[in-house]
Formats: sequence, structure tokens, C-alpha cells
Amino acid sequence: MKYITSVEGKQFLVEIIDEKHVSVDGKVYEVDFESVSGQPVYSLIVDGRSHESYIYQGEENWQVLLRGRLYPVTVEDEREKRLRAAAGGGVAETGEFHLRAPMPGLVVAVHVTEGQQIKKGQVILILESMKMQNELKAPRDGTIGRIRVKAGETVEQRQTLLSVV
Amino acid sequence: MFKKVLVANRGEIAVRIIRACRELGIDTVAVYSEADRRALHVRYADEAYLLGPAPARESYLRADKIIDIARKCGADAVHPGYGFLAERDDFAAACADAGIAFIGPKPSSIAAMGDKAEARATVIKAGVPVVPGTEDVGNMTDEELLAKAPLVGFPLLIKATAGGGGKGMREVESLEEMPTLLQSARREAESAFGDGNVYLEKLIEGARHIEIQILADTHGNVIHLGERECSLQRRHQKLLEEAPSSALDDDLRLKMGSVAVKAAQAVDYVNAGTIEFLLDKDNHFYFLEMNTRLQVEHPVTEMVTGIDIVKEQIRVARGRTLSYKQDEVKFNGHAIECRINAEDPYNNFLPSTGRITHSLLPTGPGVRVDTGVYPGFEITPFYDPMIAKLIVWGETRAQAILRMRRALEEYRIVGVRTNIPFHQTLMDSHRFMGGQYDTRFVEERFSMEDAAETGENNNEIAAILATLVAHREAERSANIVNRNERDASNWKWVGRWERMHR
Repeated sequence: MKYITSVEGKQFLVEIIDEKHVSVDGKVYEVDFESVSGQPVYSLIVDGRSHESYIYQGEENWQVLLRGRLYPVTVEDEREKRLRAAAGGGVAETGEFHLRAPMPGLVVAVHVTEGQQIKKGQVILILESMKMQNELKAPRDGTIGRIRVKAGETVEQRQTLLSVV
Repeated sequence: MFKKVLVANRGEIAVRIIRACRELGIDTVAVYSEADRRALHVRYADEAYLLGPAPARESYLRADKIIDIARKCGADAVHPGYGFLAERDDFAAACADAGIAFIGPKPSSIAAMGDKAEARATVIKAGVPVVPGTEDVGNMTDEELLAKAPLVGFPLLIKATAGGGGKGMREVESLEEMPTLLQSARREAESAFGDGNVYLEKLIEGARHIEIQILADTHGNVIHLGERECSLQRRHQKLLEEAPSSALDDDLRLKMGSVAVKAAQAVDYVNAGTIEFLLDKDNHFYFLEMNTRLQVEHPVTEMVTGIDIVKEQIRVARGRTLSYKQDEVKFNGHAIECRINAEDPYNNFLPSTGRITHSLLPTGPGVRVDTGVYPGFEITPFYDPMIAKLIVWGETRAQAILRMRRALEEYRIVGVRTNIPFHQTLMDSHRFMGGQYDTRFVEERFSMEDAAETGENNNEIAAILATLVAHREAERSANIVNRNERDASNWKWVGRWERMHR
């Protein structure tokens, strides 16, 4: 199976040959890959060099935490790559976006009203958790749609707070 | 000797105090909230009693309930740890009234140091330098403040009397721009605290936050255990502490130590306490405040002096003299503490909650971990995000840094995101290695992204790792979706699936 894998703007053509071999841009490596006790911590031995890493699935990519550094990595197989190229490569800059609570907490303040125009990076809501007040910011320009919470409400993790259209 | 000590706290500090008691042969009593039934301090203590629901004001802040429990279970003494009730003079007084020893200072010392203006006035009388300003003068009008400003000196800070968290704070470079800034500071303070009063304070540029550990007994002996360097902070929260500070030499250490002893004597201090100072580039130091309790970062002092501060606290509370005289306090090597917080350093340090599913602690030579969590424990949003303190000792600062790097890389916590990568990045920063930092370093001159660009690059390994995981995931979901279209037999498939997940 062939994949196109991008890390920080660099593209690699990674082929999984079999359980013990992968090739990167044509160069074949001997690999030994294990999940450490079923956790998102993985051990990888490449040609005798031992690496250990946390690998989390993000919303659009894989987050590889390796020796104190986080690498956002996108992995696409050839079919996915072709499909995306056909769709014009458009990321969700349009359409409805739901702002969800990144953690459970208490809504301290909602800084916007329904129908308000917002800019990317603008603070739209303050969520208190673990004694800290956290600013939730707009991920892109848009208009505030429905607001589903109000100040003083407690929210669960991933609960939808409001929508941006 | 005390027979039984009640620990009025939770988390790593409750565990720390229980350990000291155990080693002294004292029975321990834990108190806990509904969220902490499975917490380590509850498991380690000899007795444990429920306080109430998770929010602190219904549990760990219920002084009445805690004293009630102490009485019923026959505890001789209460150790408050830090935070919660540790700096409440009414709680210390209530313990005394109930005939229970409070392992800490007298209520009058807590009160004297708790009120900022009173603390300033008290230490000024004892000849301790303070940051020049008008805080102790009381509320002043704009005209009065403008007249006072040149005496304080520029640059200066306008600060809200009721303030905190930087609200109502303004930096002023010159007298000309001051009237406008006064107005905006007052407006902001008014809306944030309902109190528009402000005061002036000289801005100490390039300041370091240095604190001196004090121990005092009831027989009039007061000693200091040297300094801790606490300049690495974010939003006024300390992140990393070390001892000794690379900004101090023996002369300055001696001077600050004796001034700190004087400040403690000024309030008739007993037990462990910490005097916080700001140190400017020209080695002038100014009293900030006194923390009348055990500090989070006390282990770095323990590592370089070999003195068990918690045991000394218990000893002093029993009315004994300190185990050490000033000239018996010797400093050996260098210690660093990293506060491990359940925060995501890649997402604006947002708190991270959840169940810890896996944890592998760093061990080996010169490493100490103080923690209250373990695999299976749930990190809730009710309390402080600090879940562990990683402390290392080395013969020199350089060796301590290398050891800390090694220990941070060994530390695995799964289930919540932690700030371990932040500390790893910090350990690699040239400014940190050179000891060239002040209290604004983390917020103004440090970023995870910049550091990532200069550091070691493992792009290709990251690519292989992510691809292997993505490939596994794809195979697994394909197998589930196409269950009936498998070419191999079900038994063969189960065998493969198991091999894959071994």
C-alpha cells in the first residue's frame, strides 16, 4: 500500500511493503513496529534505531509527539489524494462550523450575539476549567449562527457551544 | 510526639505530608471530596473521611467539617499543605481553639503577611527593602498620583488595588502619557473588580523572582535554607524552579538570607515560610510578599540542603527546636523542578481532563517524582491542573539540566495531555541553559514553534510512524466493513487481528 505523507510541508512517498519493511521515497527500511501495551504510545525500530512516540488522531491529521516535539502529519492513500484534487482541495472555509467545548467546564461569558460578524482569531467565548479562564477563538471569519449556551451554564466536553456560518 | 496528623489537602502535597508522617511513625488521616475517593492520598493514609461534593468550597475549604473530623478521630495536629486553608488565619485559630496543633505559623503572622499593605509596612519598619510605590499610602486622586509619580520613578506600573491577573495594570514610560493611562486603568479596574482605585509601583525591568526558604521554631531560632529561582512563569503561575539561582553569588545569598530572616522575625514567625523578592539586573532586591506555608517548590531546597522541610515543620509544631543551626546548613549541587500540568502546550495551554490510562514514571539516579495520580485516576476540572512535580539533582547546573532532559523523555503519561513537551523545549533553549532569563521570558521571548525550528528534526521518522498507524487503522476499519467479503476464513482472520494488536 502506498501513501503520500506530509510533515511540515515536506512530502514523503511511503510504501508499506510488508509487516517488516517500508520504503520512503524508494529507500527500503527494515522496521519493527509495536504499540506499547495497547496505548497510543508506539515503539518503532528502524534499521536498529529505537524510537518511541505518542501518536494521536487529530481532526484532520495525525499528531506525532517525538522527543518533546510535535509533528502534525497528514497521511493520504493515492485514491484519497486523487479525490481531494478533484474537489479542488477546498478546506471547510464555507459551510457550517460547530464550536465544541474542548473540555468540560463553566461558560463564564459569551462575547458574541447571534448574527454577529466575526473575524478569525476573535475571542467568542470564555470557558472556565481547572481554575483557569480559557478564551475560545473563532477558527475563521464568518457569522455567528445559533448560540446554544449562556453564561453560567456548565458544559460537557465536546458539547456544541455555538455555530458559525 | 504527635500520634495522629490530619492532612487537610489533596493531590501530591497530601501524599508528600503522609510520607513524612509515615517515616516519623505518626498515623495519618486523609480527608477527601466525592471526586477524590480513589485518590492516592486516600489510599495511602491510615484513616480517610469524606468531606463533601467535588467543588472545593463544599469540601477542602470546609474548615468546620475538617476540625470536626479531626476532633472525632482524635488527631493531635492538622497539616494544611498549600492552597485551600493553608493561609487562612481563622482556620489556624479555630484549630488552636479546638486544642489541635496547626502545623504552620501563628494566626497573627498569617494575618500580618496576608494583607499586602500591612506586610509592606511591617517589613519596611524592619529595614527590609520594598519595591518603591504608593501601595501602602491608601487611595489617592489622579492629581496626587501624578505628583507622586516622579518620586517613584519611570518606568512604573499602575496597578489596581483590588487587582490580580494583570487587570487594570498599565505600564507608564513618562509623565506625559500617564493621565490617559490612569483613566483607562481605572475604567478597567472598575469593570473587573467594581473598584477603580489604583496605586503606583516602580517597574523592575529584567526582574527575577527569587525566594528564600525560612525555618523558625518557638524558641526564637530563625534560619534560612538559601534561595529558589522561580522566574520561569506563565500567567503568574510558576512552571519551573531551581536552586541555587545562577543570578546569586555567595555574598548576595548571605545578604538576602539575612534580610529574609529579619522579615520573618518582624512578624514573630514560626514554622516554614518563604520570603519572595524581585531581583533587578543591578542586584538590588525588593520584598514582594511572604508565603506563610509550605511551598509547592520546597523539594528543590530539600535536594540541595538534604533537609526534610516537612519533618522540620512537624518538629517545630511539637515545640521542639530546629534540627539545624544556620552554620550547619550546607548547599550541595543543583536541583531543578518541573511542574507537570495537565495542559496542552500545543493548544494554548488549555487544561486537559480525562482518565490517566497509562503512566511510566522516570526513575534512576537523582530523580524524584512527587505526584498524586496513577493509571486509572480521573483528572477532573475541579482542582489545580498540576498533576506531578518532577525534581532532579545534579552535581552542577549543567548536569541537572542533562538529567532533567533524560527524565522528561522517560516520563510517559497517557490519557491527558501534559506540558512535558514544553519543559523539553525549555531544556533545549539556549537562554535557559545560559541562565539568561527573567519573569517575562516564557510569555515574551519563548515559543514552542520557534524552538521547534531550531531543534533536532525527525520528519522522516514521524512520517513513517504516522503512516504505519494510519495503515493499521485503515486495515482494521476495512476488515470491519467488509466482514462478509473476507477471502480468508474467520479463524485465520481472528488470528491475524490478534497478532496485529499484540
